[in-house]
Amino acid sequence: MIKESLKKIYLFLIMVLLYAPILTLVVLSFNSSKSRSKWGHFTLDWYRALFQNQDIMNALYTTLIIALVSALIATLLGTAAALGIQGMRRRFRTLMMGITNIPMLNADIVTGISLMLLFIAFRFSLGFSTILLAHITFNIPYVILSVMPKLKQTNRSTYEAALDLGASPVYAFFKVVFPDIIPGVFSGFLLAFTMSLDDFVITHFTKGPGIDTLSTKIYSEVRKGIKPEMYALSTLLFLTVLVLLMLINMAPEKNAATSAKRISVSRGHKIRRFCLRKLTPAAIIIAIVIGGCYYGSKESGHSSNQVIVYNWGEYMDPDVLDMFEEETGIDVVYEEYETNEIMYPKVQSGAIAYDVVCPSDYMVQRMIESNLLAEIDFDNIPNLKNIGTTYMEQSRQFDPDNLYSVPYTWGTVGILYNKTMVDEPIDSWSVLWDEKYKDSILMQDSVRDAFGVTLKYLGYSLNSTDLDELEEAKNLLIEQKPLVQAYVVDQVRDKMIGNEAAIGVIYSGEAIYTQKENPNLEYVIPKEGSNVWIDSWVIPKNAKHKENAEAFINFLCRGDIAKMNFDYITYSTPNTAGRELIEDPDIRNSRIAFPDASELANCETFKFLGDENDALYNRLWREVKSK
Amino acid sequence: MTNKLIDIVKVSKSFGENLVLDELDLYIRENEFLTLLGPSGCGKTTLLRILGGFETPDKGDIIFGGKNINALPPNKRQLNTVFQKYALFSHMTIAENIAFGLKIKGKSKSYIDDKIRYALKLVNLDGFEQRTPDSLSGGQQQRIAIARAIVNEPQVLLLDEPLGALDLKLRQDMQYELIRLKNELGITFIYVTHDQEEALTMSDTIVVMNQGYIQQIGTPEDIYNEPQNAFVADFIGESNIFAATMVKDKVVKMLGAIWECVDVGFGENKPVDAVLRPEDIDLVKPGEGVINGVVTNLIFKGVHYEMEVLANNYELLVHSTDMFPVGTEVGVKVDPFDIQIMKKPESEDEEVSNIEE
Repeated sequence: MIKESLKKIYLFLIMVLLYAPILTLVVLSFNSSKSRSKWGHFTLDWYRALFQNQDIMNALYTTLIIALVSALIATLLGTAAALGIQGMRRRFRTLMMGITNIPMLNADIVTGISLMLLFIAFRFSLGFSTILLAHITFNIPYVILSVMPKLKQTNRSTYEAALDLGASPVYAFFKVVFPDIIPGVFSGFLLAFTMSLDDFVITHFTKGPGIDTLSTKIYSEVRKGIKPEMYALSTLLFLTVLVLLMLINMAPEKNAATSAKRISVSRGHKIRRFCLRKLTPAAIIIAIVIGGCYYGSKESGHSSNQVIVYNWGEYMDPDVLDMFEEETGIDVVYEEYETNEIMYPKVQSGAIAYDVVCPSDYMVQRMIESNLLAEIDFDNIPNLKNIGTTYMEQSRQFDPDNLYSVPYTWGTVGILYNKTMVDEPIDSWSVLWDEKYKDSILMQDSVRDAFGVTLKYLGYSLNSTDLDELEEAKNLLIEQKPLVQAYVVDQVRDKMIGNEAAIGVIYSGEAIYTQKENPNLEYVIPKEGSNVWIDSWVIPKNAKHKENAEAFINFLCRGDIAKMNFDYITYSTPNTAGRELIEDPDIRNSRIAFPDASELANCETFKFLGDENDALYNRLWREVKSK
Repeated sequence: MTNKLIDIVKVSKSFGENLVLDELDLYIRENEFLTLLGPSGCGKTTLLRILGGFETPDKGDIIFGGKNINALPPNKRQLNTVFQKYALFSHMTIAENIAFGLKIKGKSKSYIDDKIRYALKLVNLDGFEQRTPDSLSGGQQQRIAIARAIVNEPQVLLLDEPLGALDLKLRQDMQYELIRLKNELGITFIYVTHDQEEALTMSDTIVVMNQGYIQQIGTPEDIYNEPQNAFVADFIGESNIFAATMVKDKVVKMLGAIWECVDVGFGENKPVDAVLRPEDIDLVKPGEGVINGVVTNLIFKGVHYEMEVLANNYELLVHSTDMFPVGTEVGVKVDPFDIQIMKKPESEDEEVSNIEE
């Protein structure tokens, strides 16, 4: 008895482990409170909001179309391939099955990157068609896998018997062989459809700008902070996949049911079979076609008059894009990236002809050195007058003749501290090595930021490539390790708001937001100097719409637009006209957002130090982290 | 049994390195029940598949009704096949199965319905129209497979070990059924089997094959009583085969003794093979036979006793309705016409004979 109940408890625990996360998600999707820890009341608002979100519905439509078309084509190709393989001699058959199985076992990321490289090598421009091709590619093995066993079960002599009775080979195949393998073909189709619906990694690598499937859309949305609509969407996605999987698993059942009792059950059986075989796929197809027409009619259709923007995630007010489209009639195709290092290879490969990109200072330098950037025709950017001259001067550090870049945002790296948790006013990096604050210090988990801070504290340049200086910095960082509560990136903001740490290294743009949330927080640029960074708009050499790109940059340089973006992203704007428009004098004159020139006296921008020095920095950082 | 219907002329077929048929010659007459008999791998099924059109010969010709049909696809041939594993279409009803060929030929609905009823009656499965193949027993499925083939009124029915998957009792019933069918339909049956009993029971003509060669062609009686070589003798029924010497006409030396026989024309002092069927050996009192021996083993087989007798250091298999316990001393006697003398083959693979019955 005890054994029995233990078994049940064990089973229960496993079910909890498996489904608790999804259940949480489902529950939260009906929670009226935005907080993850508080239950408001039951609501369907998030579902409503979801269906009103045009971007998500477009992504949904794209996802379904790609899933359906790729599954259909893969089913055709895969079934034909399975027939071919079945006809081979045993040795080749085993070999072929092995070859077709490998892509399934292969890591998605490898498949994704290889496909991307292939498309780039053959000069495909990444977009809808490349996603579709990629999905067909990775779906074919699944179809083969589910058709093969059925084909093996079929008696070859039934085909021959049909020929013998006078059927032509084609007639014999469709009349005799195909009905036998239909369950395999059908579950292959559903499996392919589900896999396609499910895929993120491969889509991520093979998609182009302005096209998203649900998974990539969710990913980019989540990066900006998880909205409850995403819970609703994820719930729906989960349910869809669940239903499809149940269909797949029920499909072979009808074969098992073909026993001697079949006559008596045939009626109900036939109805169920009809539902499974005809009704469900038909319903899916009809839904997609109707959905497609509905949303297709809403979509404006991409004209050739467009500008392809590649920007940091959550780095522009969406309304600005709408205003730009309305005022100029130019369609904006907008894509986002997370780091300079992700952006660089995409631009470098030339797979996608971006028109305007927003790299950071050292990356601008690197792109200039790699000959990737086009000179900007400043006659087309009269609003450049709004950009403060100091920032143009600062830009010379990475763009010596101000030929390639227009500053968009800028900021500093400094110390954020909680006034209630420290004794004295802080003005030096030395506080990061103060034993008093053991376990209350948050460091940036990024090699250049960590070394930059340390080098500055030691009085060196943060672009130092001197081995002795770097060794010294490394040793200092190792010495600091026991004092550090955590090496983090984005969590500095949340942890400081939540009073979890006293001192943290942070970007100034985040500081303004944290101060709003927790008035006890104070930001300072240490007297030894720090990093001042600038993100600037540049135009890649292979841009197809250079004039539109210049129009876009010019638009962003408008004072009111710069102000809108400042309000949205809270990073300092170099746009003096825009700064004048800020209503709140505290912010307009904020020392955090707009520090005095004197405070910036010792500050430097990061420079691209070359691949060798990058490797050196990374090696030293690993030594720090592993000690 | 009159005209040649199918003439197989010097047909060879190999799969890769493996030569399955080597310049095989054979003809089949109208209304004949011809059985291709041999162990697995002897080429009998390949020959049947060549006739059905599922394989093409590498060399040689298949002449059907005076026309070469080498290149004719299966669906254009005037013959139908009954497959070993029935090969019924599992997603169709019995009626749909039987109607398959007729629908392709574009026959009218009433014609098809009549034919289905007639065929089901013929195979004793009236009223099975709406059943599915899965709901039938093996024997019933096989009869449906035959019904499906014969409604097309083929001139020749090819049967590829059709009873192989059935149990013994059912197999025997089906043998009678097939003979009856053949007589009612009046068409040619070409039957492939490795079961000698089946072959002996049903055939007009048996073709014994081994390793791609025809070993003997003849009526069941010829094949059984006058095997032309050791392979045939061994394969058909149970046999005692001994190396022997033909001393002169009607006198053979074997088992260390001189025996009287009826065979002539082998020459004098020529090495031959001698066959003694177990049921043809008579056990008598010691000294009353040609040689003496001792019973070493005894098994009761129902119809008869099976005994092993050691005589002059030779082991003899004996079937008899009289029982001699183990250890009994016996004399061994064989009637002269029960001793079958065969030429020794020059090689094992060789086609020994193409002589007509």
